[in-house]
Amino acid sequence: MNATAHPMTSPAVPAAPQRRGVSARFILWLMLLIAMLTVGAISFVYVMIHGLGVTNLTDELPWGLWITVDLSSIALGAGAFTLSAAVYIFRMRQYEAIARAAVLVGFLGYSSAMLALFIDIGRFDRFYHPIIYWNVHSVLWEITMCVVLYLTVLLIELFPVLVESTPLKKIGVLVSFSHLLHRLMPIVAVVGMGLSLLHQSSLGATYGILTARPFWYSPSAPVLFILSAVAGGAALTLLVTLLSGKLLGREQAPPNIITGVARLVGFACLAYLYLKLWSWLATNYYSYVPEQQIGAETLAQYTPYNFTFWFGEVLFGALIPAVFMLWGRLRSNRNALMLACLMIIAGLVINRWNMTLSGFVIPLDWSPGVGDIFPINTYEPALVEWGVAIGIVAYSWLAFTLAVRFLNIYPESRPVGAAPVVVEHLSASEPGHHG
Amino acid sequence: MSDQEPTPQVKETPPGVTLLNRREFMTLLLGGGATMVLAATLANPLDTFARQILDNPAREAHDGDPNYKWIMIIDLSKCIGCDYCVWACQATNDTTDAMRWNIRVEDQTQLGVKFHLTRPCLHCAHAPCVEVCPVGATYHRRDGLVVMDYDKCIGCRYCQTACPYNARAFNWSERTDVNPRAPEWGTPEVERRPRGVPEKCTFCIHRIDAGLAAGLMPGVDEQATPACVNVCPVNARFFGNVNDPNSTVARILRTKPTLRLREDLGTEPSVYYIPPEGLL
Repeated sequence: MNATAHPMTSPAVPAAPQRRGVSARFILWLMLLIAMLTVGAISFVYVMIHGLGVTNLTDELPWGLWITVDLSSIALGAGAFTLSAAVYIFRMRQYEAIARAAVLVGFLGYSSAMLALFIDIGRFDRFYHPIIYWNVHSVLWEITMCVVLYLTVLLIELFPVLVESTPLKKIGVLVSFSHLLHRLMPIVAVVGMGLSLLHQSSLGATYGILTARPFWYSPSAPVLFILSAVAGGAALTLLVTLLSGKLLGREQAPPNIITGVARLVGFACLAYLYLKLWSWLATNYYSYVPEQQIGAETLAQYTPYNFTFWFGEVLFGALIPAVFMLWGRLRSNRNALMLACLMIIAGLVINRWNMTLSGFVIPLDWSPGVGDIFPINTYEPALVEWGVAIGIVAYSWLAFTLAVRFLNIYPESRPVGAAPVVVEHLSASEPGHHG
Repeated sequence: MSDQEPTPQVKETPPGVTLLNRREFMTLLLGGGATMVLAATLANPLDTFARQILDNPAREAHDGDPNYKWIMIIDLSKCIGCDYCVWACQATNDTTDAMRWNIRVEDQTQLGVKFHLTRPCLHCAHAPCVEVCPVGATYHRRDGLVVMDYDKCIGCRYCQTACPYNARAFNWSERTDVNPRAPEWGTPEVERRPRGVPEKCTFCIHRIDAGLAAGLMPGVDEQATPACVNVCPVNARFFGNVNDPNSTVARILRTKPTLRLREDLGTEPSVYYIPPEGLL
């Protein structure tokens, strides 16, 4: 698979930013992204001018596609804390080969989430209010503070990379500042891990603490969120590493690193499945909580929830990819690995969508009577909501594309010819291959 | 950064298991624990401090009198479903048909007997909306009423998500409409809320505050009483200070069986219902 070298591959200097001639394919890709960005910008401004009334959100179902985008991008940005922790706390220095990419993906994920939240709040002019007006009892306040602080952590982690491969490196002050930051990195990583452990789980708690909605109310929601984020975040980092390598005809990171991350993802998937299974057994199978049961029946009847839950989230979102990640023969096939990453990412997005929608679709029943008086709530994102979402996705894809092109994101990247194509049995220590 | 070429290495241990040593692990654990304890200890004082220096000074003036505790009692056995309270509320608080603060639904008892249920905001003592608001824009006044600071709200709608009673309406768009119920059912007494914030029933705090200041008693004097209570043609709604044992509401609570909505959730609403026949 890796033999399909990019036509533009030239004998580039291995560690340098992967800049080379501009191919037609690259131009097309950029044009597509710019078109998507334009759609996004127009939708964004349209919503800012006309307000949230142009969305399909309602008082009964006030959160929708944008919250899904927000939750998904934060979860998919979690590779940054996992790999920073691996490198700086657990001293697995070899993972530095992929840590920068993880931090970049993390930064793009979190900034995408910020964009989604900015447009989703009714008063975007007051986006800074959580920082000056505190309600420490609010899980959403804690999330906002953590996300703001963690975005700062990601910027600190990204700053040296930015200085190193741009004209900024000619400014002495910035270079020494960047060195200082680099020395502080273990501390920054600890802070980053603390913040991530907090808010990645409290995002699940956003739903899990709401006693009013029994289908959501669950102590396992926060833990399920962080486990899926560990799997999904690392999976996205792995996917972009493999994909950019394939497109550029390069080996972006040593094979043993790819293997190591894949195994982490596999085990995270299994841990997630274990908790998810018991969460389901405890609330839906072994016990009888009327509202929970009625809720599940409602979802099964009016939405594709059952199908998307069992097939999208469990089978194709976690179980099958876990096999891919943990079975050496499949894992050594790069295309299979990428497919598995894609399945996990899709499963995670479906999960965040299902989480958000399920609690709202089931109507609240607050009347003391027995009549069936509250209608099922439905929601389909409006075109303008899709527009904003497309724009946000395009932003992160474009930023990643440019970063890989102009920054030294993969310090150990080398042309495919210079590295072994076969990536089997790596865990059993692979000696150096070339040179 | 790492070397360009992985040096040939003979490893006894597979790569990547250089974990923390015991001292580092303990430091991390204790440091993390200490930080959490510190955060938990400081959270409340910090919050109080933040409130003191940052709070909207205008709020103090409308913070209610802690000597009173306002409750509403709605007699479902009397309610005829005329919608007068719904409309009077719309006129007084200037809401559209889609954003009613006080709504009516029709439900039935186990025996199939239909009854009407009207629902203002329930002003819960343990209000989920207050607990989840990230900026404290929705809060308890000192008299227990749950109100909104529309200047603080960021419009995240978590309060709508958390409220068990659908008691909140969001301003999805800028209001340009003419009040659908004025002047037949009253005239708007409060400012319209801006686009992008949720709003809800206040128990007509503007009447309560002005009334008390003028020496009137809410629940007794019409001028100081919520519009929905005054307008009810069958006197199904009662309002007053439950701290006063001689008030009508305190007397009803002592003498009649009442229920509150979703009492199982522990929200402790301030609205009590006298059930229709056959419901309890």
